[in-house]
Amino acid sequence: MKNSDAILAIGCNPAENHPISFKWIEAAIDNGGKLLAVDPRFTRTASKADHYAQIRPGTDIAYLGGMINYALEHNMIHEEYVREYTNASFIVNEKFDFEEGLFCAFDDQEKTYDPKAWAYEVEGSGLPQRDKSLKDPRCVYQQMKKHFSRYTIDMVCSITGTKKEDYLAVAKAFCATGRPDKAGTVLYAMGITQSTHGTQNVRAVAMLQMLLGNIGIAGGGVNALRGESNVQGSTDYGLLFHILPGYLKSPEFDNVDLKSYLEKWTPKTKDPKSANWWGNTPKYTVSLMKAWYGDNATAENDFCYDYLPKRSGNYSFMKLMEKMGKGELEGLVCMGQNPAVGGPDSLKTREALGKLDWLVTVDLWETETSIFWKRPGVNPKDIQTEVFMLPAASSVEKEGSISNSGRWAQWRYKAVEPLGEAKSDLWIIDKFAKSLKKAYQKGGVFPEPITKLAWNYGNHEEPDVHLVAKEINGYFTRDMTIVDKDKTLEFKKGDQVPMFKYLQDDGSTVSGCWIYCGSYTKEGNQMARRDATDSPNNLGMFPKWSWCWPVNRRIIYNRASVDLDGNPFNPKRAVIAWDALEKKWKGDVPDGPWPPMRNDKEGKYPFIMVPEGLGRLYALDLKDGPFPEHYEPIESPAKNLLSRVQSSPAVKVPANMSSDTTKYPYVGTTYRMTEHWQAGAMTRSIPWLVELVPTMFVEISETLGRAKGINNGDQVRITTERGSIQAQALVTSRLKPFDVQGKMVEQVGLPWHFGYAGLATGDSGNVLTPSVGCANTSIPEFKAFLCNIEKGGKRA
Amino acid sequence: MTAARIIIKEIKGYHNFVKFLIVLVALGALASMVRFVFGLGVTTNLNDTFPWGLWISFDVVTAVPLAAGAFTLGAIVHCFHIKKLEPLVRPAIVTGFLGYSLVCVGLLLDLGQPQRGWHTMVYWNPHSPMFEVSMCIMAYTTVLFLEFLSPVCEKFGYHVPLRLLRTIEMPLVIAAAAISTLHQSSLGTFFLIAVDKLHPLWYNPLLPLLFWVSAMCAGISIITVEATMSHKWMGQPDESELLETLAKILPWVLMVYLTIRIFSLMALTQGLLWDRPGLTALFALEMVALIVPLVMLTSSKVRDHNKLRSTAAWLVIFGVIVNRFNVSMFGMMEKGTMYYPSFIESVVTIGVIAAHILFFVLIAKYFPIFEHHPETVDYTLPDNFKKTGKAHAVEAKLASEA
Amino acid sequence: MSEMNNDFSKSKAFLIDMTKCTGCRGCQVACKQWNQLDAEKTTFFTGEGYQNPPLMSEHTFTRIKFRDYQKNGQNEFAFYKEMCMHCNDPACASVCPVGAFVKTKEGPVTYDAERCIGCRFCMVACPFGVPKYEWSKAFPLVKKCTGCYSRILDGKKPACATTCPSAITYGERGEMIKEANRRIGARPEKYLKKLYGEEEAGGTSVIYLTALPFDELGFKHVTKRPLPSYTWQALRLVPGIFLTVGGSLSLLSWFTHRKERLKKEAEQREASDNTPKEES
Repeated sequence: MKNSDAILAIGCNPAENHPISFKWIEAAIDNGGKLLAVDPRFTRTASKADHYAQIRPGTDIAYLGGMINYALEHNMIHEEYVREYTNASFIVNEKFDFEEGLFCAFDDQEKTYDPKAWAYEVEGSGLPQRDKSLKDPRCVYQQMKKHFSRYTIDMVCSITGTKKEDYLAVAKAFCATGRPDKAGTVLYAMGITQSTHGTQNVRAVAMLQMLLGNIGIAGGGVNALRGESNVQGSTDYGLLFHILPGYLKSPEFDNVDLKSYLEKWTPKTKDPKSANWWGNTPKYTVSLMKAWYGDNATAENDFCYDYLPKRSGNYSFMKLMEKMGKGELEGLVCMGQNPAVGGPDSLKTREALGKLDWLVTVDLWETETSIFWKRPGVNPKDIQTEVFMLPAASSVEKEGSISNSGRWAQWRYKAVEPLGEAKSDLWIIDKFAKSLKKAYQKGGVFPEPITKLAWNYGNHEEPDVHLVAKEINGYFTRDMTIVDKDKTLEFKKGDQVPMFKYLQDDGSTVSGCWIYCGSYTKEGNQMARRDATDSPNNLGMFPKWSWCWPVNRRIIYNRASVDLDGNPFNPKRAVIAWDALEKKWKGDVPDGPWPPMRNDKEGKYPFIMVPEGLGRLYALDLKDGPFPEHYEPIESPAKNLLSRVQSSPAVKVPANMSSDTTKYPYVGTTYRMTEHWQAGAMTRSIPWLVELVPTMFVEISETLGRAKGINNGDQVRITTERGSIQAQALVTSRLKPFDVQGKMVEQVGLPWHFGYAGLATGDSGNVLTPSVGCANTSIPEFKAFLCNIEKGGKRA
Repeated sequence: MTAARIIIKEIKGYHNFVKFLIVLVALGALASMVRFVFGLGVTTNLNDTFPWGLWISFDVVTAVPLAAGAFTLGAIVHCFHIKKLEPLVRPAIVTGFLGYSLVCVGLLLDLGQPQRGWHTMVYWNPHSPMFEVSMCIMAYTTVLFLEFLSPVCEKFGYHVPLRLLRTIEMPLVIAAAAISTLHQSSLGTFFLIAVDKLHPLWYNPLLPLLFWVSAMCAGISIITVEATMSHKWMGQPDESELLETLAKILPWVLMVYLTIRIFSLMALTQGLLWDRPGLTALFALEMVALIVPLVMLTSSKVRDHNKLRSTAAWLVIFGVIVNRFNVSMFGMMEKGTMYYPSFIESVVTIGVIAAHILFFVLIAKYFPIFEHHPETVDYTLPDNFKKTGKAHAVEAKLASEA
Repeated sequence: MSEMNNDFSKSKAFLIDMTKCTGCRGCQVACKQWNQLDAEKTTFFTGEGYQNPPLMSEHTFTRIKFRDYQKNGQNEFAFYKEMCMHCNDPACASVCPVGAFVKTKEGPVTYDAERCIGCRFCMVACPFGVPKYEWSKAFPLVKKCTGCYSRILDGKKPACATTCPSAITYGERGEMIKEANRRIGARPEKYLKKLYGEEEAGGTSVIYLTALPFDELGFKHVTKRPLPSYTWQALRLVPGIFLTVGGSLSLLSWFTHRKERLKKEAEQREASDNTPKEES
């Protein structure tokens, strides 16, 4: 980040929620970079920003769309990059259309789109038609221009409530990074993801960055500031419901066998210049199955594919809570998760927990979830759930790796023994698996998926995490000879696989997570390296500090940082450079060792993870449209100015929502603080942190305070259609009302860290939030809803 | 009769006022015990914003100048040789001795670690005005004690010590004046370091000088008042003539003080003077309390009139007390902050004041304080330590008047 | 003490760039953890923004003060790290009667709890209001930032400096001042062109860079002269005064008693003159 000339922090608050990252943001500022903060509140990040622009929660697509339009209109895009490295030149099929807020092929009943209607126009060779002059009205570039021409400055400012001069200052400063020798990065977090159009929000960011040529360069990128220190690790290893480790797709009910699964999910391309790296899906899938089932997985039995659960729908958090509430779940295991505070519509969730037969919570402290059965206002006698609480070790009490926002997996040693009976998660899962295996030996419905699991993590009480890491990296199951270009490599059975390009689909390799292949090689644990020498180009890549996926490539898509001949667009910040004499790339691990694109025979496009090989300005596989379109959040104080469709059409809206501004006149939003963390289980019992932020509070503007007679420190009651909570009010000039189509709409800001468990208690912000989520990911719309606030309220 | 019975019988015979003082002293002692058991934080209103409160302001910064009569009068009588005022010396020394002893008590109560009070004798920091004051006070209390020993020796007929004391009387007086000059002024030096804290109405580089001169004003005034009251209430001789002479000296000292004060205020201070109405009022009070007696005492009618002279002296005492509180407490209060003493603090201080009066009265009752006329005392050593007839006669006289 | 020409450029100092501080309070918590201090009981924020606790105390050696206000229609959300300034010529060290405070050559001003008699003069003298008292104890001691002296001797940096991601730098005072001036030179529009702590109280070991004027951010206005010099200008006269007063009074006494002495001598001579006449 220190290489950025402009840092746009939108929907995130790095100073408060990623304080260590701020060191590098300040390095960028020291080098002349500009920090641009776009946030509903003037946060600690905004206090350090060169420009701050206020934005109404939920209107990020309008904001970003306006910037896209601005860049296009003022010719601030990186032309060569757009033409050569994105699908701007692709022709869209004739049927594709967008009218009055809806893309073509929308099914009103099902509330879904048919993405086939958005396909590219294909020519004889099977490749999409292209117009490299970008003039064809059916080309992606022109379609995009047309789509975003509606996002004029006046229009977007009346939607977002931003002051025009603030908006222009940010747009100007950021779009200036479209120059080939300038770099801009967009930092984002839950502020834009937790929305019914969260995915499209990030899409808009990606589009803007591609137009400005900011992907793959030093100081560029679309950078998620992850909300937990190892959430990157959790998604890498497939903890989300729709993926397997390494972002492989989780099989669905209609993927009846391995062949049809691979058929469905392995992308294909006819373009020889597209590396289409996901084309290797079979290799990674089979290697994963070998890791899980070991010698039991053979080509004959589809590598135990039948043992994988087949998903028949959406198993997202909200869906699970919904099922639980209907009494359709027998039991629930919450490992380091606190749904009673962390999920939307907390009251419903807490009710729903009472419908379980049994609940297991694994945590360092008693959480609101683990004591839901004796929460205030509830008689434990009325709840039949059997609750088990397993004490867990903290991160310094166990050995393992943590993957940060930069994909660096940093290995950590065990510093102290856990207290009392607390155990590491690895021990707990190991015990679970072994006990289940033992129980299933005696029989049961379909025991093989458990009994046939390969489970070899040592014979000691504490499983050997190094064995886990080695399996994740992968090893050869038999002696292998592999020819790689002009090299012939010999591997012995049991050797660690040095990188994922050597993984096979015939069962000769094991890899628990292909993207981490290379992290634990025969040279040892690469993740434990701590050499703080920066690379010669001094860009802050620190190639010998820990290990990052893939293959320790610090900046992905870095082939887009050079021109067609392999010369860096900005020689002063060269990530990679083609050495024509030695015929290889110098610098970071190149994103594909192939020669530059100019080489028609061997060169490949930079965006190797999509089948086109080119960045998708137009994206076919999202549920709510190939282009982001601004819709209002489900609960909104304003009519959608851009079209007749008020909110995202692809989202099903639950019952307890209300846009009645007479009942709920204010915009509510949630956020986090530096001093507390997540649902507060780990921080609200530490006196030093409680000293800093001792109680649940809400932030309101001075005008709202005056209007409601609320002074700083007064007790207030905040209500939404979901429920009502009490807190103390912090009245500040850092929050201001939004100018929404001429009317001033106030906002109420709520941290969501509090609950009824722990040393410092308070009402939970998520009692108020709606359980409606993004059409693609089901992430709840925590960040924009409607509420009311009144002075007074008695402490429960 | 046992000693206890004697004491109780004596006490029963005391005047009610004296009995009342005993009660106040007992309460003060009780409060002091509470302070030692529970600590300063619980028993006082001191806090991080006000580390020094009533006990420093009164029991140290005010009580010390109020006991300044001893050295002032000692210097006037013995150095300037105004022998006429000699009868006033002894009472002044008793006042001084009691005053300084109670300052030591006050200090022990105020220190956070009083059991370590002796550390100043072992760990030295000559740059610290508090080190200097603590050394001086220890030395001066010793001097006062030695000076006080004279009436004690006279009472009990310890001739040899008496002779010794007589010999060192002059050096003691000069030492007293020199040491007093040092610590009276150093109390002012304390606040020189509070350059950004003490309000400009009081902060100026001549604070030490001002404290020394105002101490002398206070000393002379206390003697005047105390002599007047011991005549009125304790049947001691009427020293009006002496007081008239003393009253001639006081306005000159006051004049010196006010001149330096006004000069330093006009020429040596920086910053806004009149920005805080409360402090301005206190400043006015202080000035009025010192200017009015100055004007009054220029008139011989006032100087020769018991009541008016006494009033003028009271005003000076009041003025010095207000000044000392202004410097050490009110002038140090940042705008918007407030301190007032707690119940325990107040009971202790009242007890200390009561103790001073009580012990003065008792000492006057049992020791030859007011009867002293040096010519009548026989300092010669008796042959073979046998008492001479003359000595007997003196003794008898003393005994009958006790 | 006030005529010190000691060179403090090699002793350690903090450079705290308040423009880089994000008010995260990592320093506050690190200090509490290292010194094992108690947390204070708070019920809401005390001051502007998220400020807590309300004051430094026996339990809080450093504190971030928040400023949350508007200036010319722009929001200012600014932070100031309150802490012991570890002055080069400390007021506390000069007034302590038992010399419990020492300015170490490494930089920190340390406090020897064993010597302290609890007079609290240090609390009155410190222009920054740093020393706090253990009011909660029956036998209280003074409490203040130790400069993490034991860590310094071990070659480490103070706890707060180690934890801070961006604002605090720790090193030799001369280097810190040089770096501060370099930053001002590199980004003149970003900084106030003065360093707080460079000259205050005669120079301290905590140098602050800020964007906002000092009084707006909450810095106290403190004299540029070393505080002990104010006391010393009076105290240095002590021996002289003692001798002068003692001497002049002695002289005076000699003179005033002279008349009497002469008179007495004359009387004695007369007496001895008379007596023989009577006898003869």
